[in-house]
Amino acid sequence: MSANSNKELKLLAGAALEFAKKELAPNRENNDRFPFGPFWNPVLEKAFELDFFHTTLPEEFSGIGQGMSSLCTVLENISQEDASLAGIIFTNTQAQEIMRIAKSDGLLKKAGNAKTVKEFLIAFPAFNNPSEVEHVASASKSGDGYTVSGGIEYVVLGGMAAQAVIPARLDGQDGYSFFFVDLSANGINRSDPVFSLGFHACPAVDMTFNNVKAALIGEEGRGQEYFEKMADRMSVAAAAISLGIMKGSLKEALDYCTKRFQGGREIIKWSEMKMILGNMAVMTKNAELILSAACGATDAGKNGWEQCCRAAAIHIQEMACDLTTDGIQVLGGVGYMKDFGQEKRFRDAKQAQSLLGMASLKKVQYLESIAG
Amino acid sequence: MISRSEQKTLLNRTPRFEDMLCSLYAAPRMPGGVVKETKKVVAIARKFNVQVIRARTLELDKKMHEEPDYLAWDFVREANRWGFYSMWYPKQIGCKGYSFFSMPPFIEEIASACLGMANLIMVHYLGVTVLASSMNVRLIRRLFMDTIEGEKTDSPCIFSTAITEPGAGTDVEETELVDKGNITCYAQKVPGGYRVNGTKVFISNGHLATWHMLIAYSDLKKPSENMVVLAVKNGTKGFSFGKMEKKLGQKCCPASELIFNDCFIPDEYVCADMRMDMPKTGLSKKDLAASLLDDTLAASRCGVGAFGAGGARGAFETALKFAAKTKVKGRLLINHEWAQCILAEMYKNMLAARLAYMESNYANGVFGPMAVFQYKPVYYFSKYMPVRFFNLFENFFRKPVATKLLRRARLLAFKQENNQITAGLGSFCKFSATDLAVKNCHLALEMMGQAGLRHDKNAEKILRDSKLLQIYEGTNQLNRLNLFKCLIARDFPQTVVFDE
Repeated sequence: MSANSNKELKLLAGAALEFAKKELAPNRENNDRFPFGPFWNPVLEKAFELDFFHTTLPEEFSGIGQGMSSLCTVLENISQEDASLAGIIFTNTQAQEIMRIAKSDGLLKKAGNAKTVKEFLIAFPAFNNPSEVEHVASASKSGDGYTVSGGIEYVVLGGMAAQAVIPARLDGQDGYSFFFVDLSANGINRSDPVFSLGFHACPAVDMTFNNVKAALIGEEGRGQEYFEKMADRMSVAAAAISLGIMKGSLKEALDYCTKRFQGGREIIKWSEMKMILGNMAVMTKNAELILSAACGATDAGKNGWEQCCRAAAIHIQEMACDLTTDGIQVLGGVGYMKDFGQEKRFRDAKQAQSLLGMASLKKVQYLESIAG
Repeated sequence: MISRSEQKTLLNRTPRFEDMLCSLYAAPRMPGGVVKETKKVVAIARKFNVQVIRARTLELDKKMHEEPDYLAWDFVREANRWGFYSMWYPKQIGCKGYSFFSMPPFIEEIASACLGMANLIMVHYLGVTVLASSMNVRLIRRLFMDTIEGEKTDSPCIFSTAITEPGAGTDVEETELVDKGNITCYAQKVPGGYRVNGTKVFISNGHLATWHMLIAYSDLKKPSENMVVLAVKNGTKGFSFGKMEKKLGQKCCPASELIFNDCFIPDEYVCADMRMDMPKTGLSKKDLAASLLDDTLAASRCGVGAFGAGGARGAFETALKFAAKTKVKGRLLINHEWAQCILAEMYKNMLAARLAYMESNYANGVFGPMAVFQYKPVYYFSKYMPVRFFNLFENFFRKPVATKLLRRARLLAFKQENNQITAGLGSFCKFSATDLAVKNCHLALEMMGQAGLRHDKNAEKILRDSKLLQIYEGTNQLNRLNLFKCLIARDFPQTVVFDE
């Protein structure tokens, strides 16, 4: 973000970008081959060591306790090179946020104290708003606790995380609740990784639960409320991923245009190309400004910060899809090939647009939030 | 009220009647039998979609992710068994002889089920178009017979077209740019043929093709006047395959590198040579090359427009299916008003894409190089005259004089204004339909949420596949400029295009 208004954020941005260039960019194509290639465990471990997963986790739970500006700085800079890692951080933070909002301190502490990345990661259905399409399990009271049963599609990190936060409806209740599930428990089945458009190295699985012990997060029936509060904050983080993708795409397009010749001169000298690149640059700058304002409003708790985040996300995610289409177009045939990063950014931008639910419905929901 | 000459003058003003209402102008001039043929090929395509494509498309795409070097021979053999690689070859050599006019609707049908598989079939006809545009009757017949033999023996013999070079993509699509481009594929004239050195890249179906229609240049300083079209067969000494590209989509259709290293092509496989064997017609060598390129591109871009309509339709049908069975906020998505409006928008995009390619198809039907075959007497003569009648002329068509006569007839019939309509509308439908395809894919994914992201729901594949349509056969930016050149700039003599 351009909101590198303080030293701490600048340092964080530098660290994240350096990490992305050093650890992500060189192996982007190989890492993106998952599930048909190896998973990038060593990269995850390094990111974990650097505390990229702990940014917004409160200090009392072994986190860094920073605001959304910090999380967005990390996600944006990482996404310039490979948004899959940002997707993992985002998913994990979503689950943490649900627990934080619901004041499930015990569960959060347990997750925060994990010493390895595998123990630390929490799976979550990051691309679905459970009140839109009902991918919700069913839950029953069982003695002092609860059990969950049924299927949930597209649980991100479900194939590798030690625990999951999942939505389930308690017998006889209208709303849904969130539950914390230990994924080493018996009665859990996972599909093969769901092969998807983007974020290949941030995999999801379809999961089924058969009378699996689960801990209630917060209070019964308040799942939707927790989700919406989480989505208010995390919208801006989703937008940061899209902004990072935009920046990466613009940079690669500019680099290529100064090297590629057509019609006897560098293609950057063709005015139609300048028009396309100019449009990409304007979109990127606007996205940067919007995100910066939304982060600032969120961290300061300004009146209406929730709408700022939601509107920023909708707009930036849409711009990222437009921009990455042009990002391929500028490179022509090679932009469509895996030798460059543009085709991945195109896929990842579209994938990111569905974080937190259906892109189309987000606008309807935004209108409802301001018009009542 | 209005005199005949006044009417003529008024209708020749911009926009000319034929430009504005090309289909209205063209439809009455076309034989009614074309409708019957088009219905038949569309029905065949639908049957093929049900029996072959829909059962295999996702599986094959996933296989290509897993093994990027896999070659989809199984599918090509199946298409070969269905006779798709000779379906539009003339009846006189024992084929179905369907009208070229029926080809774009066939493409749309197949492409609506899988753009990659549609490419595996239809890219062959790009090679056919290059070969046919050369009017080299002897060679056309020779290579067509190879395809027919391949169908009889279950050994597909398909064509690829090699134009793009590592340093020249847009440049080789446009004769105005090619002299400034970094062109390296050199065909040196030597006794008895040409010796070729150079590399071609992104050649669709390269690794699967038997014959490659190679566009090379006999003088790299002035390629626009020295284009040579050669037919290169697999196994020719000095010709080899390089790498297969790893693509975003249309994965089952290989994008190949073709390498020519002192590759000798004998005269008998020279399709056309702008320097040597063109009849004198008053057209410059550059104009000759441009007319051959434009003829090819007007047809192929119409085809890509049909691919675009297929992509737009595939995305629409996928989203509609999802909306009809998925509950959102407790009610079926198809019953949400906002979703109905998005689905209507997608339907509109699909329809607009179809109308765009059909307008180009009509233009090719009455103004293009194959227009003579749509001329009613010629059409019905060729349909109903017994094959044995044509056999009487078989020896004649084997002789160089037949090629010369046909070329002369074609070049004498060449009219700049006809070329402008076919090339201009070809570019129009190419960029319009393919942009609409990508637009529909975005709308589908936005409506489907996480389901749209999953490979097994198909929507994401259509997006990946469709994106290529905006790039090949000239980027959509190049095609916008070509439309400007063909249909707008002609009224402004002070205009320069491709020379900023």
